[in-house]
Amino acid sequence: MGDLVFDIGYGHFLVLAAVLFVIGMAGVLIRRNALIILMSVELMLNAANMTLLAFSRMWGDLSAHTFALIVIAVAAAEAAVGLAIVVAVFRGRRNVDVDRLTALRH
Amino acid sequence: MSIQKAFLFLLAVAIALGALVADAPEATAQPATAQPAAGQPVQLHVVPSDGPRGGVTVNPTIDPDRNLHGDRVESHGKGMALLFWVFAAASIGGALFVVTRRNLIAAVMGMVGSFLGIAAVYMMLYAHFLAVVQMLVYAGAIMVLFVFVIMILNRPEDEPVAPTGHVGQVVGGIAILYLLFRLGMLLAHVHVPASAQLAPPPMQLPGGEVADWGTVKAVGSDLFSGGLFPFEAISILLLISVVGAIAIAKPLKDDDGEDADLGEDLATAASGAPHTDGGHA
Amino acid sequence: MSFEAGDLGWLVPYLILAVVGMVLVLAEAFFKGRDHTSLAGLAVAGCVASGVASIVLVRQLAGSEQHMLLGSMLVADRTSYVLSALFAFTTAACALISPAHQKEHGWKIGEYYGVLLLSASGCVMLAHAANMVTVFLGIETMSIGVYVMTAMRRRSRRGNEAAMKYFLIGAFATGFLMYGMALIYGASGTLSLVEMPAAIARTHNPGLVIAGGFLLVVAFGFKVAAVPFHMWAPDAYEGAPTPVTGFMAAAVKSAAIAAMIRVFGTALGGDITPFGALGWASPLVVIAAITITIGNITAVRQDNVKRMLAYSSISHAGVLLVGVCAMGLGSSSAQASLVYYLIAYSVATMGVFAVVSYVGSRGRERLLVDDWGGLASQHPGAALAMTICLLSFGGMPPTGGFFAKFYLFKSAMDVYSGQLLWVVVIGVVNSAISIYYYLRIVTAMYFRDSTQPMAPTRSAGLLFVMAACPLLVLELGLMPGFWLKLIGG
Repeated sequence: MGDLVFDIGYGHFLVLAAVLFVIGMAGVLIRRNALIILMSVELMLNAANMTLLAFSRMWGDLSAHTFALIVIAVAAAEAAVGLAIVVAVFRGRRNVDVDRLTALRH
Repeated sequence: MSIQKAFLFLLAVAIALGALVADAPEATAQPATAQPAAGQPVQLHVVPSDGPRGGVTVNPTIDPDRNLHGDRVESHGKGMALLFWVFAAASIGGALFVVTRRNLIAAVMGMVGSFLGIAAVYMMLYAHFLAVVQMLVYAGAIMVLFVFVIMILNRPEDEPVAPTGHVGQVVGGIAILYLLFRLGMLLAHVHVPASAQLAPPPMQLPGGEVADWGTVKAVGSDLFSGGLFPFEAISILLLISVVGAIAIAKPLKDDDGEDADLGEDLATAASGAPHTDGGHA
Repeated sequence: MSFEAGDLGWLVPYLILAVVGMVLVLAEAFFKGRDHTSLAGLAVAGCVASGVASIVLVRQLAGSEQHMLLGSMLVADRTSYVLSALFAFTTAACALISPAHQKEHGWKIGEYYGVLLLSASGCVMLAHAANMVTVFLGIETMSIGVYVMTAMRRRSRRGNEAAMKYFLIGAFATGFLMYGMALIYGASGTLSLVEMPAAIARTHNPGLVIAGGFLLVVAFGFKVAAVPFHMWAPDAYEGAPTPVTGFMAAAVKSAAIAAMIRVFGTALGGDITPFGALGWASPLVVIAAITITIGNITAVRQDNVKRMLAYSSISHAGVLLVGVCAMGLGSSSAQASLVYYLIAYSVATMGVFAVVSYVGSRGRERLLVDDWGGLASQHPGAALAMTICLLSFGGMPPTGGFFAKFYLFKSAMDVYSGQLLWVVVIGVVNSAISIYYYLRIVTAMYFRDSTQPMAPTRSAGLLFVMAACPLLVLELGLMPGFWLKLIGG
């Protein structure tokens, strides 16, 4: 038990990332507000980045740092487009609730 | 508003506490230069890792005692452990805040706390540069963008959860916990090469210089050798997002050649109702 | 070590698309409020140049020759160039349809053409991808461009809603994609897809490969709209402007499959994981079988042509996934058959959506099957083009679709001890079912009277696409040998 608490190894970082990923995934699945869903997706990307950096450290390979940097830039671009779409949807219907998007029927 | 204030306060206290504790073990670790800390597995003699790619290679001839930052041991020792738990709690707590709050601003604040905790964890993984980028880009820029949009929408309160039945929630919750358990067991028992137990050795850069692992110099060297193409190609992605975001979100004008709402109902179209085609002069 | 100016020569198709796309973004500033036909012309010229460059370059390469480019981020081989030529063709067709559609349906946004070409450059990047970084970046470049294009009918509620659904699901899939890649990187220690098989063969963490493979299956399942992850597709297809729907169905799906060829076929394929220790192939085969079936059965019930085509493209994705499994399990002809199927499918898709945008006009899309009654008597050419493309979808003999299905299922049968036999049977049965709903449109066009007069959208570009695509589909079916030689199968 003492080892688990005081001896921080790769497992700790990886499990922390997994917890963040699952929280983000649960957020996407249970929340209905588009902005919260977008934030949850950002959490998932951060979890992936943390995993990437932990493994990068483990393998002594810096190329994953480049990858993580690119992921951050992509996340920024995605957030910009996503927020623009949210604004466009809000302009038409005054809320951004995913459940109330019903103009397209099944 | 008191909850997120309390949360931020706790976060600040945690960071301050962590900073205090961080000094102590470093001072004690300093004299025991080449010695790994107690509780370390014994198979530590393999120092250089097996050859990362590209121009950035570990140079086995570099003196292992050479010590740019004084952190000889990877995250071992009680101080580091405390720091880790504090920042892990901050990031998980912030994440839970995001998925549970009704108030959007509160969710954003939780997100910022989570990102700061994550940035600190990056530091422990020797990703100094990425930690700073995380703080600047994520906690700074992206979250400010979110706050702006929330202010534009001006509807902070929102119904929190999808109205699924209790059975659905229980089954979903169990499924997610099971997934987390399996993933966690897998990741907790990951096989780590022996060379990865030590602090990463300094790297030999192409120009003959030596840089600490994960610093701006080392990452930049990789970014402009092996990562050059993606680094350039991402500019296309950013161009799309800038142009696209403006094209989508710019205000609607009456004279920009666009018709009025064309999302006409299919049912009325099918029944042969006369359709309105506004704006065709 | 990583930047060689000579490498850029191999990337000319990609560079042309990217540069012309940027020029279009700039040029748009000088075309405010005017007719966008000239922008579309420039876009088509760029696509043609890129396609010609791809065809020139594919002739420089022997059958299985591969060049690693720019620090082995990209790879140049015959598959990548054939696919980039295909993407250039699809994009050109999309740009040809668009000006008339923009005028008739009131979404004159000049930025559209620039975003279209830049998004196509993402597709081409995926065709060349040899590293997880480029796979990720290519998928994102392509997807973000398509999210933007979907949202470009800014006054249409349905357009915005489609964009929102598509975006949220796509971003969710990106999270899975990244996490899966991170786990596989953890197991292998390399991001390069070419070094991956050797690295995975000596890994100490096989569990990470399997977990990462599962996550990648989920992520790509979202991207190609395979069945448990398909719910966004009909809405996004219906709400997007018709040319964009064509681009989504043809280029985006093909590019995702191209990435799967690299990721699952090359990097995670061979005798390392697929069926061993429950690798990625067993879930993927099941997903493929479900996708083919559910896609077809749901398509039968649709009254809206665009939604029907969306479900039809879902079932085609299932067939393509069978090909990906076959490739991962070591079938030697699977890669060529996948590429051939992508060509036949994309060409027919562009033809179908050209006809769909021809039929609708003046703000009315005329999407219900009933609206298509009597098309053959008034516009026999359009009805004939639609019929040929639909028959190709259904896999009828004289068309490219028949040979594509035949060849792909044959390569799936080559897999060791007939493991994929049951999926092939499901696929063939479903081809027969699919004929039913394709013929619904055909009978409506030929044997029903029109309920109201039609005033279709007329433009030279649209008519050209409507003529060229069916001819190509027939050519693909009548002379498959030429194409197979080009692909290198």
